[in-house]
Amino acid sequence: MSKCQDLDPLFAPYVDGDVAPADRASVEAHLAKCPPCRGRVAEQRTVRAVLEARRPALRACGSGALHERCAAQAGARNPRRFLGSATFARRWVPLSVAATIVLAVAGVFLFSPNDKVEALATQLTVDHMTCFQFAPERLRHADAVTAEHDWLAKQRWDIRVPASSAANDLELLGVRRCGFGNSRVAHILYKWHGQPLSVFVVPRTVRNAPLEEEIDKFGHEAIMWSDHDRTYVILARARPAELAPVVGYVKAHAQ
Amino acid sequence: MDEFNREALSYVDSLYGTALRLTRRPADAEDLVQDTYLKAFRAASQFRRGTNLKAWLFTILHNTYRNMRRHDGRNPVEVDSEYVDQAPQPAHEYTPEQLLTRNTLDADLQQALDALPEAFRQAVWLRDVEELTYAEIAQVLDVPIGTVMSRISRGRRALFERLQPRRVATAEAEKTM
Repeated sequence: MSKCQDLDPLFAPYVDGDVAPADRASVEAHLAKCPPCRGRVAEQRTVRAVLEARRPALRACGSGALHERCAAQAGARNPRRFLGSATFARRWVPLSVAATIVLAVAGVFLFSPNDKVEALATQLTVDHMTCFQFAPERLRHADAVTAEHDWLAKQRWDIRVPASSAANDLELLGVRRCGFGNSRVAHILYKWHGQPLSVFVVPRTVRNAPLEEEIDKFGHEAIMWSDHDRTYVILARARPAELAPVVGYVKAHAQ
Repeated sequence: MDEFNREALSYVDSLYGTALRLTRRPADAEDLVQDTYLKAFRAASQFRRGTNLKAWLFTILHNTYRNMRRHDGRNPVEVDSEYVDQAPQPAHEYTPEQLLTRNTLDADLQQALDALPEAFRQAVWLRDVEELTYAEIAQVLDVPIGTVMSRISRGRRALFERLQPRRVATAEAEKTM
């Protein structure tokens, strides 16, 4: 490696006046006899000066709403209950432990996805648990029309978000984006009888038949079906029969 | 509101500006900053008093961004080490100061920054815009300090190369007027 290449990383701290005395002497001795490196240092000085002069214009200002949302997070320093629901909060501890196990085990499925349906169910179970576990403060009652609009604006593909349903004791909490392979999956989060329930919309067909398929993953039941070019998955800790009314409701309002 | 909260919240704009450079989308940048504060306030007891709170927040922001990218199935930060070496040398008709300080428009600079390889852009941004020290940048980006020096060196030169053709064109246009 040439002397120029050896010294190149030191040019940045040298320009900043932040180089050790011994290194400074080496750099200056080299610059005295190397015009190309003098040019490189001059370029760095110029860029640094320009960026320094333009700092105010380069720096962006967050909106007032962002400032308020960030300030609201200060409440996280004091542990608080998810949605104020005692039932929900009690479920949270075993869910955390389970999520850790699932995350560890899931890799086995994800790195050898011989069966796409199994791999998808595993991935979505992980997403279901992590989304509810790590972002409970952001989950509040949500409006379906607003959620659809926000999703379309952000993600550029259309989904139908089934609204809250008193008849099914189903409360819409929001929509998040999750990933599966190269696909972006819409993760619609609900509180159902006080428990987390997820509806996933995958923008492609993972399985051929439109018939429902029931897959048990780590104590969660996933009901999966495809329709046109999309695959739908409902996931919760419940027996398939218990989920049947929700499946019917989602089929009527999501497709 | 206590002192920690007050100081932490004084960096919302800095974090947002950096998040915007990372995600390039205002909505994603806002989500990233909000997630950063959620994690920061939850982990407030782990912050060591007397150390740089701004650098600590930037570390959380970058870690959150890396996790977000992994979750999205996108590649981690890639460093194109040949990028600068292969760039053509500009003709120095004008001094760099003349070329850049007279004619540089903010939009050009933003565009040139955004066009840099991500690893270089992050390092240059944290140093020259957010004024973090080399040690703090090493902590934020989770790389050795020598790598930080190298990335800033290469990033600044790449930025210079990116701006140079426009400056020459602009200067030439001015001469003919």
